Amino acid sequence: MIEEPYRWVEAIANRREYIEAQLAPGSPIAAVGYRDGILFLTVGQTRQKLFEIYDRIAMGAIGHPGDIERLRMAAIELASTEGFTRSAADVSLRRLVHYSLSPVMKSAFEQVYGAPYLARMLFAEVGESPNEDLFLRVEYDGEIATNGATYAQARQDFAVLSGTRQSRELMEAFLKSQHAPDASFELALNSALNAWSIGHISLKASDANGQPDQAAVLKHRQEQLATSGIEAAVLERDASRAIRYRSLSDTELRSLINE
Amino acid sequence: MERSSVAFDQNFSGAADFPALLRRKGLLASAVIPPIPQAGAPQKTWQPTEATTILAFKFSGGVLVAGDRRATAGNTVVYDRADKVLEIDRHSIMAIAGVPATAWEMARVLEHSFQYFRRTQLQEMSVDGKVRALSKLLRDNFGFVMQGVGVVVPIFATYDSHPKPETRLYFYDAMGAQFEAADYAATGSGSPAVRGILYYENNWGRKPLHKLSEDEAVSVALRALDTAAESDTSTGGVDRGGKIYPIIKIVSREGIATLPESKIAAVFKETVA
Repeated sequence: MIEEPYRWVEAIANRREYIEAQLAPGSPIAAVGYRDGILFLTVGQTRQKLFEIYDRIAMGAIGHPGDIERLRMAAIELASTEGFTRSAADVSLRRLVHYSLSPVMKSAFEQVYGAPYLARMLFAEVGESPNEDLFLRVEYDGEIATNGATYAQARQDFAVLSGTRQSRELMEAFLKSQHAPDASFELALNSALNAWSIGHISLKASDANGQPDQAAVLKHRQEQLATSGIEAAVLERDASRAIRYRSLSDTELRSLINE
Repeated sequence: MERSSVAFDQNFSGAADFPALLRRKGLLASAVIPPIPQAGAPQKTWQPTEATTILAFKFSGGVLVAGDRRATAGNTVVYDRADKVLEIDRHSIMAIAGVPATAWEMARVLEHSFQYFRRTQLQEMSVDGKVRALSKLLRDNFGFVMQGVGVVVPIFATYDSHPKPETRLYFYDAMGAQFEAADYAATGSGSPAVRGILYYENNWGRKPLHKLSEDEAVSVALRALDTAAESDTSTGGVDRGGKIYPIIKIVSREGIATLPESKIAAVFKETVA
């Protein structure tokens, strides 16, 4: 198969289709930058999806738990050894993803006799000010999408992850119009929750391809929150502390949600 | 082939032991214990070089940990602003007597071990686990101690919220044995004098140590360190001319508080000088 280029391309295409189908039901994750940090949010199904990687770096992921776990451990190992041998300031999300995770995921994906990583990940690194926040999305094939001022793209202070491309694009369009980087925590929380609802509606009804109206978003949100919990974490901008990651409990968030 | 420290390790262990990870990556030297000398062979005796004074005791507001600022090599004062009371995490302090290079490295390993455990295992390491982690580092370092370099004798103070909220205080020997202290602990070359003072204060002082207020506790700590410095040249005590005061930190439920120099200076002026 490898000797024949056409068969290889076909095998890769099949594999892509298979992985996309596996990831498609994955519940969305929204990460939004606000005045005092970065908020990660998803609405809880069963297992934990948001993780601390290092002092200023957090990760959210969908996919197979075994693969997520391998990638998460690798990221923590790399960041911890770097932070130990040099300093915490030398641990950089850009280097971690570009030089370590992405090449490994790409080669696992393209070696058609081996298993690929069934995972899609969203990383964020909190900066001293909102325009230094870095968001990176890493796909199962090693593809990297960033929020930051590259070529034709304006800087965004948020990033999202979802099971399908359509769902992700709807969430991004919503946050682009509704979210401001200097928002308060409460505003950021509600934007993130609405973005999650929009992404989730799109996953449930794949034929609907426009932005749902506000009433529908609110209704969906209420229905989901009645039965599931909010999973959230923040990376705080407060420079007086080394460790910026803090997970937030469902109960402390409920009172801040606008009904 | 040289491996970069940011190379992706495909064979990750999934284990929570940070020192083991460092060893696998070749980032932590392990000492070889020299063979035990045969009878009759000339013996190289091991000279303890832990020249400093560290003390810790429980008082009404938590555990107070104090250390002088002097670093020495033989008869020479190398540095007079050394910080030997090190914060390991939000509720833990390691105070060190011994060779600074080894001790600071140990503190770094320990700090990263606790964080690494929490991040990989998604739960905080227990206090017993933390106490044991330091013990294991000391044990692993004993080869260096036997070679006459790298002896470290620390004190570990922390706050335990489970099962019963209380402060916990431990001292160690150079081989890694851990001892939980009920009231106080002291280590370093000036510690015999300090231990005497703390024993006396605890039994026949105006109040037992655990009933002291913060100001009273600071006063006892300063007097003890000054007494140690009186006879031990390796202990800095309080440098009246240079206005260099000991480092004093307090561990309590709220975390770790570092007393500002102005406050220590005020207590010193009022009750010690």
